Amino acid sequence: MERTFHGEIYLTQYLDTQGTLVQPLPENPQLAERLRDCYRNMVLARALDTKAIALQRTGQMGTYASMLGAEAIDVTIGLCMQPSDVLVPYYRNHASQHIRGAAMEDLLLYWGGDERGNANPAMNQDFPNCVPIATQALHACGVASAMKIRGEKRCALTVCGDGGTSKGDFMEALNVAGAWQLPIVFVVNNNQWAISVPRAIQCGAPTLAQKAFSAGIRGEQVDGNDAIAMHEVLSRALERAREGKGPTLIEALSYRLSDHTTADDATRYRDNEELKAAWEREPIKRLQTFLHQQGWWDEAQEKAWQSEVALMVQGAVERYLSTDPQPVESMFDHLYEEMPSSVQEQRDWAQVKAMKGGSHHES
Amino acid sequence: MKYFKLPDLGEGLPEADILEWHIQEGDQVTTDQVLVSVETAKAIIEIPSPQDGEIAHLFGQAGDTIHTGEPLIEFANEEQEDTGTVVGEISAAEPGTSKDSFIIGAAPSSRNHQQVQATPAVRALAQRLQVDLNSISGTGQSGHITPDDVQKAADMNRLHGPVEPLKGVRKQMARTMSQSHAEVVPVTLFEDADLHSWPADSDITMRLIQAIAYACAEVPILNSWFDGQSMALRQHEATHLGVAVDTDKGLFVPVLRDIGTRTTDDLRTGLECLRTDVRNRTIPASELQGATITLSNFGTLAGRYATPIIVPPQVAILGAGVVREHPVAVNGQLEIHRLMPLSLTFDHRVATGGEAARFLAALIKQLEQPFDEQL
Amino acid sequence: MSHNITMVEAVNLALKRAMHNSEDVVVLGEDVGPNGGVFRATVDLRDEFGPRRVLDTPLAEAMIAGLSIGMAAQGLKPVAEIQFMGFIFPTLEQIMCHAARLRNRTRGRLSCPMVLRAPFGGGIHAPEHHSESTEALLAHIPGLRVVIPSSPARAYGLLLAAIECPDPVIFLEPKRIYRASKQAVEDNGIALPLDTCFTLREGSDITLISWGAMITETLQAADQLASQGISAEVIDVASVSPLDSETLLASVQKTGRCVIIHEAPRSGGVGAEISAILAEKGLLALQAPIARVTGYDTVMPYYRLEQHYLPNTQDILESAQQTLSFS
Repeated sequence: MERTFHGEIYLTQYLDTQGTLVQPLPENPQLAERLRDCYRNMVLARALDTKAIALQRTGQMGTYASMLGAEAIDVTIGLCMQPSDVLVPYYRNHASQHIRGAAMEDLLLYWGGDERGNANPAMNQDFPNCVPIATQALHACGVASAMKIRGEKRCALTVCGDGGTSKGDFMEALNVAGAWQLPIVFVVNNNQWAISVPRAIQCGAPTLAQKAFSAGIRGEQVDGNDAIAMHEVLSRALERAREGKGPTLIEALSYRLSDHTTADDATRYRDNEELKAAWEREPIKRLQTFLHQQGWWDEAQEKAWQSEVALMVQGAVERYLSTDPQPVESMFDHLYEEMPSSVQEQRDWAQVKAMKGGSHHES
Repeated sequence: MKYFKLPDLGEGLPEADILEWHIQEGDQVTTDQVLVSVETAKAIIEIPSPQDGEIAHLFGQAGDTIHTGEPLIEFANEEQEDTGTVVGEISAAEPGTSKDSFIIGAAPSSRNHQQVQATPAVRALAQRLQVDLNSISGTGQSGHITPDDVQKAADMNRLHGPVEPLKGVRKQMARTMSQSHAEVVPVTLFEDADLHSWPADSDITMRLIQAIAYACAEVPILNSWFDGQSMALRQHEATHLGVAVDTDKGLFVPVLRDIGTRTTDDLRTGLECLRTDVRNRTIPASELQGATITLSNFGTLAGRYATPIIVPPQVAILGAGVVREHPVAVNGQLEIHRLMPLSLTFDHRVATGGEAARFLAALIKQLEQPFDEQL
Repeated sequence: MSHNITMVEAVNLALKRAMHNSEDVVVLGEDVGPNGGVFRATVDLRDEFGPRRVLDTPLAEAMIAGLSIGMAAQGLKPVAEIQFMGFIFPTLEQIMCHAARLRNRTRGRLSCPMVLRAPFGGGIHAPEHHSESTEALLAHIPGLRVVIPSSPARAYGLLLAAIECPDPVIFLEPKRIYRASKQAVEDNGIALPLDTCFTLREGSDITLISWGAMITETLQAADQLASQGISAEVIDVASVSPLDSETLLASVQKTGRCVIIHEAPRSGGVGAEISAILAEKGLLALQAPIARVTGYDTVMPYYRLEQHYLPNTQDILESAQQTLSFS
C-alpha cells in the first residue's frame, strides 16, 4: 500500500507556564519593545474586561462576553495585523478591535445595546462582532477573495472558538480557502469550552488544527497563553498570507477563565479545581514574569501603567455612560440606501408613539 | 448564594494569595464577618461574608493563589443562584398561581351566532339610507343583503314609515307561534262550565288551576311533551302550569310549579310573586321555562271562545273566557246561570278526541263543584 | 399530580413525561445535558434518562436538524433544541428541503416526526440575534407545523402534542414569558389538539387575535376594554401553521371587528395571512377594516431601543378603540 498523505501538527511555545523560556527567543531587534507593547495592551484588555463585567453587574450594560484568559491571543492579533488587513472577529475580540481603532466606549456601546458601537469610521473595513457562530469565517473568505482578485498585498484574519469549528460554515470556509489559496489566517481560540460543552465532546479529532488537512491548508497549534509564541506564529502566518503563500489555520490552546457570558454560571458544569489549575497557566502573569526576568519591565513601570490604564478605562466608561440613546427613528434610517415609502410611514408612526402622550413615550 | 466568589479587588489585581482563614468548614457566619485574609501585590485585604450562613466548603488553603471570580466559599443549604439564561434577563413570576382558562376552538356564542351578512359597501349604503340591516332579509346568494334589498327597504320606509324589528318577548312570541303553526296539529273543543253553585267570593283563577291539576291526573296524556322529530312522548309526573300574563311589552308565560300537590294559599302566593316579577321585569329566564300545560285566562279582558295556540313541546292549552250570565234549561225550566266559556286546544298528533273530551269533562266536573274538593 | 409551575418548567415537565412514556423520545442540542439547557428547559433530564437519550451535540444547527431527520426516519422521536430562534436559520435547508417534504416525496413510506424547539421573541434585554420573531418564515413552508404556546398549561399540552404528532413540528417558546407566571399544571400526559385556536376570553364586541408573549399584552388590553364596558374576545392562535381559520372566522362573524397582534415584523407576517383569510371568507360580517398591531419592518434593534419596537398594551388598546369607532 502506498501512503498518499501524511500530516503533522506542531505546537509552538516559547514560555512555559512558569514564564521560563523553553527555546531561543525569535530573532527581532525590536522584540523587547514589542513584548512590552503586548504586555501593556494585555493589562489594558483585562482592566477593560473587568470593568465591563462590573458594568453589567450593576445594570449599566447588557449581557457581556468576557475575554478573561484570551489576552495573549487577542492582543497579538491586534498588534501583528497591519492597518490594511481586515479583521473578521467573533464576539471575544475586544482587545484586537480596540488596538485596531475601535474606541473602548464603542465596545461598551455595542454590549450596551447601541448599534453605533459598530459604526466608528476608525474601524475601517473590519467587520463588527459576529454572534451567529462561525458565519464570520465565510465573510473573511469573501474579503480575502476580493483581495486576491484585485492582487493586493493584504490579508484577512478571522477568529472563532473551539465550538465554532464544528459548524458547516467553518468547514466550508476552510475548504474554499484551500481550494482558492486565499490570503487568510484562521485563528481558533480553543478555550476548551463552548458554553457548557467541553472540547472533548465537541470534536473527535485530537487537534482542531488538523481540520486544515481536510482543506489542504497549513495547520498548527500554539500555546495561546504564551504571548511570544502567539506573536511569532501570527506574524509568520499573516506574512505568508499577504505574500500569496496561502492560508493558515492556527489553533491557540487556551482556557476560558470566565463564564461564557455574564448571564452564564460555569460552576454549574465546570470543576473548580480545573479552573484553579488553569489560572496557573494564565497569559498575563506568564509574560510579566518573563519580562521581569529579562529586565524589560519593572515595578515602577507596572505601577505607572496601572494608573494610566485605570484612567483610560474610567474615561471610556464615562463617555459610554454619558452617551444618550439613539433617537427612535434610527431604527429605520439604515435599512436601505434610500428609505422606501412604506418604511417612511412606519418611521413617522414610531416618532409619534415616542412623543409625550404616545404609547411608547419614555419618561 | 451558594458560591461566594472572590470579588474584584480593584486596581487590576486579579489574584490574591490566601494568608489565613478565619473560619472553618461547618461554622455559622454572619454578614460582614471576616472570612479570610488575602494578600495581593499591594496589600493585605480582609474579605467579609456577603450573607449569613453555614460554611460547607472552603476552596483553597493558606498559601494558595486565588483569582477574581473563582469560588472562595460554598455555603450550605443554599440554592445555587441561577439566572436561567445565557443572555439578557428573563423576569420571574410574581408569587401566586393561576389556573389556565381556555376554550378549545370557538366560544359557544361564536358557534351559535347568526350575523347579518353584507359587504362593507352595502353596510355603508344602509347607513346612508338609514336602513337597519337587522330588519331586512337578503336576497343575495346564501342570504346576504344586496344593494337592491337596501334600496327597496329604504323606499318602503319612505312610503310606509320606518320598520321596527321585533325585539325581546314579542320577537320570541312571533318565533314560537310560527313554530307551533308549522308543527302542531291543533283541534279545539268548546264547552261551558256552569258556575251557579259557586259561593260569591270564589277565586276564579285558583279554581281553574285546581281543575286543571285534577284533569291532568285523570287524563295524563294531555300533560306531556311531544318531540315531533323523534316521534317521542315524555309524560310528566308533576304538572307545571304556564300562566299567560299580558303586559304592554308583550306576552309572558311564567310557570307555576307542581300545581297538583300545593295548597291553595301556596299557589295564590306563588302566582302573585310571578305576576309581580313580570310586572317589574325581574322575572328570571328559568321561571319562564318548563311548563307542561298552559292556561290562558283571557276572561279577565274580553272574549268567549278562542282557538288558543299550543306552545311546543306541550300538547294542550286551556283558554278561559269571560264569565257571563246566560239562560240555561234546567229540567225544562229557564234559569239564569253564570257560565264560564272554555276552549281546550289539543295536539291531535298525540291525543285523541276522546282523550281530550274526557279531559275537558273532568275539568268541568271539578270546576262545577261548589268548592274545590277532591272528587 | 398538579404542579405550580412556569412555562419553561412546564416544557421540562412535558419532556419528562414524554420521555417517560416512550423510550424512543430522545433530546438533543447544545448544552442540554449537564447544563440543563441555557434556559433550563432540559434540566434533570440527563440524570433521569441518561446520556444515551439526552445528547449534548457539537455546535452545529444544520447538523442538529439533519440528525433529527435521520433519527425520525428510523423511528426515534427526536426533540431537538435550537438555542435561540436567531440560530435556526442554518436549519432551514434541512427543514425546508427535507423534514417538511419527506412524507410527501415518499408518498408516506418515510415520514419525519421530529420536534425542533426554540426560544423566540424579544423583550429580554439581550444582545443582537437573540430576540428574533420570524415564525412567518417557517409558517410559509408546507408540510411543517409551527406551534406557539402562551401559558404554562398549554405549553405542557401542546409540547406533548408536538412530540406525539407524526409530522415535523417547530415548537417556538416565547422566552419573555418563560417565567412570567405560574399556573397549576396537571402532569396527566394529556396532549392538546394541534389544529385549533384557543378562545381565552369570550366576548361580543371585538375579536383580538394573537399568539406567544403578546397574549399577555392582549389580555391586558381586553381587561382595560372591559372596564370601559367593551366585551373583547381574545383568541390564542397557538397553531400558527396550519391555521384554524374556523375559530377565527366564527369569532369575527360574531363581533364583526378584529385586531391581530404580533411582535414579528408587519410585512408578510402571519397576521397578513389571517387578514387575508378573514377578508376572503368573513367580509360579509366585517364592520370595520381588519387592524394589525405589529413590530415594524425593521431589523430588531439592539436592546437599548427594544421597547420602541415591541408593541405594547397601549398600542393594542388604541387600535381596538379605532376599530370599534369605525362606522
